[in-house]
Amino acid sequence: MDLSRYANLFLTESREQLGLSGQALLEWERQPAAAEPVVSLFRAMHTFKGMAAAMGYANLAELAHRIESVLDVLRSDPAAGREHVDLFFRVVDGLERGVERAVEGGDGALDFAALIEELNQASAAAAPTGSWAVPAPAPPPVAAEPAGAGRQVQVTIRSDTPLRGARALLVLRKAATLGAVGAVRPPVGVFESDTFEGQFGFDLQSELAEAAVVEALRSVGDVASVVIGAPPAQPADETVERRRQIRMDARRLDTIMNLVGELVVAKGRLTDLADQAGEPELKALAARISRVTSTLYGEVVQARLTPVWQVLDRFPRLVRDLARQLGRRVRFEVAGEDTQLDRAILDEIGEPLLHLLRNAVDHGIEPPEERKRRGKPEEGLIRVVASSDRTTVLLQVSDDGRGIDQSRVLETARKAGLVAPETRALADDELLRVLARPGFSTATRVTDVSGRGMGMDAALSRIRLLGGSVELTSVAGQGSTFTLRLPMTLAIVRALLAVVGEERYAIPIAGVAETVEYRPERTASLEGREGFILREELLPLVQLRDRLGVTGPRPPGRQPAVILEVGERRTAVVVDALVGQQEIVVEPFDAPKGMLPVFSGATILGDGIPALIVDPAALV
Amino acid sequence: MSHTVLVCDDAIFMRTMISDILAQAGFEIVGEAETGREAVEKYRQLKPDLVTMDIVMPDMGGIEAVREICKDSPEARILMCSAMGQQALVVEAIQAGAKDFVVKPFQPSRVLEAVQRVLG
Repeated sequence: MDLSRYANLFLTESREQLGLSGQALLEWERQPAAAEPVVSLFRAMHTFKGMAAAMGYANLAELAHRIESVLDVLRSDPAAGREHVDLFFRVVDGLERGVERAVEGGDGALDFAALIEELNQASAAAAPTGSWAVPAPAPPPVAAEPAGAGRQVQVTIRSDTPLRGARALLVLRKAATLGAVGAVRPPVGVFESDTFEGQFGFDLQSELAEAAVVEALRSVGDVASVVIGAPPAQPADETVERRRQIRMDARRLDTIMNLVGELVVAKGRLTDLADQAGEPELKALAARISRVTSTLYGEVVQARLTPVWQVLDRFPRLVRDLARQLGRRVRFEVAGEDTQLDRAILDEIGEPLLHLLRNAVDHGIEPPEERKRRGKPEEGLIRVVASSDRTTVLLQVSDDGRGIDQSRVLETARKAGLVAPETRALADDELLRVLARPGFSTATRVTDVSGRGMGMDAALSRIRLLGGSVELTSVAGQGSTFTLRLPMTLAIVRALLAVVGEERYAIPIAGVAETVEYRPERTASLEGREGFILREELLPLVQLRDRLGVTGPRPPGRQPAVILEVGERRTAVVVDALVGQQEIVVEPFDAPKGMLPVFSGATILGDGIPALIVDPAALV
Repeated sequence: MSHTVLVCDDAIFMRTMISDILAQAGFEIVGEAETGREAVEKYRQLKPDLVTMDIVMPDMGGIEAVREICKDSPEARILMCSAMGQQALVVEAIQAGAKDFVVKPFQPSRVLEAVQRVLG
């Protein structure tokens, strides 16, 4: 079932419920003994839990469930929970943040262990007084009649079904329609417990044949076995069934990915050393480790893949709203939504895609009257098509609108001095280069829609930083197609290794245009700062040494400059030395407080020494 | 003629999801209720073939609504919609007269199985 269709509704309504929860908590603080705030909060949490569970957000549902259980007890004594209102606020905040993240990419990465622990502690600490203890449900009257000389029936509810006790009760009720039921084991009261395993027995006096009884009881659903006259056999086949799939914390998968990545890097180093040693046996072993590592890497990459619909599914609504807002008529089609991509990349492409779609609606598709005049159907078509081969994923965003207006782009480009004055036409790739200039826009008016959010340059450079590329084909009057080509996985990238002071730093190749020799005489002032002259062009200059606060003597001789390119912006970065290229495993991190905002992650180099990964976008 | 359904849940989100599942299977959604009280009123008014009932709703919960409906109409076919951890409540609802239950997250096939059992 495609749950993503409900994501917007879920988002809206769960925000509403969480908003109500916040209000209830404020009210509770004001009137600690009043029952109403607790009841409202309980209800909101319950509704939220149901929605989260229905969306498959198990972590969110679990946290809501825990707070709900505590609140359930407090309903009868609100004042007892006064000192924990703070904790409840934090739980609601946690859910609020969790909802946003869950809708973007599932809630697998959410970790509420700390909050849950606090809820448990709060509950346990107060337990001796009785007010906080979750009471055991009072056993309801056992609906059993005195046992006759009936047949013994043993029923096992399938172990993978939820609420086995409730199901068992339905089986009992069914049995009661067949004859007289007695001697229920365990007693019905146990059915209410969440720990009830689903095996129970009773005596049945019935005129019906054995087979008919079995059939009738099975018809209740989720019954694994009905055995008459004997204790139940363990349903062995189910155990086998259950082993086929396991749930796994996404973070664990990330860890495995990183470890395998390190193995890939170490493997490279091992192969080098084996080659140098010239020992045939060692070489053969290195080759074998290399093969196994590659296969292992491939398997882990597979396990991390996520279907692109997780990102695409929010677009139909957005396109519709945009079209309405701008007075366009647009049909939006998505194909290949099951195409898979690394989660890390998927998280990054939403915004660039959104930009392209906004652009297509705003600047591509003509207003209905204009389309009619041009003999086109009044309703424009925007398509997103995803496809993949073994290592690359293609995402095409196309529209059947007016195409990119060459004359207008040329005019602006000439004015800005981006093309020679005599240029009469631009090839598609040149067109793209011009469009990707920061701040370049051919829009004659800044619309509400395209004027906001990330610009085309930012959208395109985001794709490049992911190691992807963008192509454009545009035909006047017929429309445009942007083709995004993305690597299927992000975790391993090629990097240039630069030395500054005592440390090595990795610079992702995707952000490097070229490396040149740095000569102090080729510098000039650029807007009051140091600039570097590269073939008639003046680029901003960054001395990485100064930026990182490295002191000590500069190395003798010439230093290299790495020309970083993000979108169309370029910067020359001077380093002490370059020491080659390497595949590195990107380990993203939350930069420690006070750290320069220059790094995007860390990695372990082939020789086992860690290095920081320079974020080109932060320097350009 | 297709079976008629009354969908009771205080969240639009859940009502939409349940209605979608049932409508796609050919059921006719004749009404929706946001509270237990509304569920009882609409049941009396619409006499649907099937009721899906959330357990916790404002202004009379689902269990009380089941009790209320079954008082007049013991033949009512009510399917409880529950979240995890509500075993005791579901047991109570069944004792009050609900015919079956489904558990979130809903799998359409399981919902329809339960509906068939209730209607069968």
